Amino acid sequence: MGGVANLIVIFLSIALVNNLVFMKFLGICPYLGVSKKVDMAFGMGLAVTFVLTLSATMTWLINNLILVPLNLEFTKYIAFILVVASMVQLVEMYVRKFYPTLYQSFGIFLPLITTNCAILGTCLFIDLWGYNFIEAVVAGFGGGLGFTMAISIMAGIREQLEMAEVPKAMQGAGITLVTAGILTLAFMGFSGMVR
Amino acid sequence: MAESNETAIAPAQPSQAAEAFGQFVKNLWEENPVFRALLGMCPILAVTAACKPALTMGLAATFVVVCSNIMVSLMRKALTPHLRILMFTLTISVFVTIADLFLKAFVPDMSDILGPFVPLIIVNCMIIARAESCASKNPLFISVMDGFGTGFGFTLALVMLATIREVLGGGTWFGFQVLPSWWVPWTVMKLPAGAFITLGFMLAVNIHLHNRKKAKAAAAA
Repeated sequence: MGGVANLIVIFLSIALVNNLVFMKFLGICPYLGVSKKVDMAFGMGLAVTFVLTLSATMTWLINNLILVPLNLEFTKYIAFILVVASMVQLVEMYVRKFYPTLYQSFGIFLPLITTNCAILGTCLFIDLWGYNFIEAVVAGFGGGLGFTMAISIMAGIREQLEMAEVPKAMQGAGITLVTAGILTLAFMGFSGMVR
Repeated sequence: MAESNETAIAPAQPSQAAEAFGQFVKNLWEENPVFRALLGMCPILAVTAACKPALTMGLAATFVVVCSNIMVSLMRKALTPHLRILMFTLTISVFVTIADLFLKAFVPDMSDILGPFVPLIIVNCMIIARAESCASKNPLFISVMDGFGTGFGFTLALVMLATIREVLGGGTWFGFQVLPSWWVPWTVMKLPAGAFITLGFMLAVNIHLHNRKKAKAAAAA
């Protein structure tokens, strides 16, 4: 494996080409729910990036150092969800203690990240793709950044949509999903860049 | 529905059976987890490129939601407020593990297609929502029917979306050719973009029907 170049490919692949939201359908709930305002969406994205990097690291370590040697792989899902939940708890306590203003602005989003399928999904995909330790960390970070980008773009579009006249039945989730579909088409331009 | 939980658990009482059946029907269509409550969106979009994986996914989720409702309903009196979400998640992940191992053993090709989306049932908000809002407050029988209603409602939504996508995107339905051979498949339907756009329009149709029904009821009153 070609060192740094390989890591860059993995990073670009998970952030752009195999973007979690557009290509893997992970994290759709916050993507539709928290994308009304750009600053909120950006905050959510950063929180996800942080938790995702930590969880990807921890789940890789636990899976490869504890579960695989002990043949306990069938408990993988339970172990992973516990790791994600405790990571979220840890980050919440840390942020509340040291960055109270940031904590105020995150509000309810931090606990919600536990049920964000982007986190658990990425950990499972990393396991499926058989990444090594460094690759797993890079993939976690890149996935988080890709999510931040997707949710921020979406929030920007939705702020403009507020002023548009949307048919009554399409208002809310309907138009958001169609917008997401068109956005996905745009992001397909990246496919083929990386295998 | 929340206050009736101290009565006997026997399903023989007619009022309770009626209530449970009402819960089943309500979850199946009126409050469909996908169309009305927008829960469980990730698997909806990811596994609906064809009907067979969509049906498999729906049945797996039904199994998990029914079993977790049973467990949560049985232990509802022992739950403490600050630990309950953790208990829900652990209960759900046990049943998801069972479902995943079952699929791997008996339908390995489906298991390959669904991949990590079976374990992702753990973080499907639909199931936690049912545990929280119904099973942790209601006796066993109502919770079971609620689980079946939610699960089948979810399956129904998945198969509807998958039908549209598979027929338009490939001219087939559950693998059978249903459209004539001159049909040019809409490739976009098989792609992620097709999933988003189709679901968006399905929601719009659903909201439109709902609004019309409400307007009719208002006009009649």
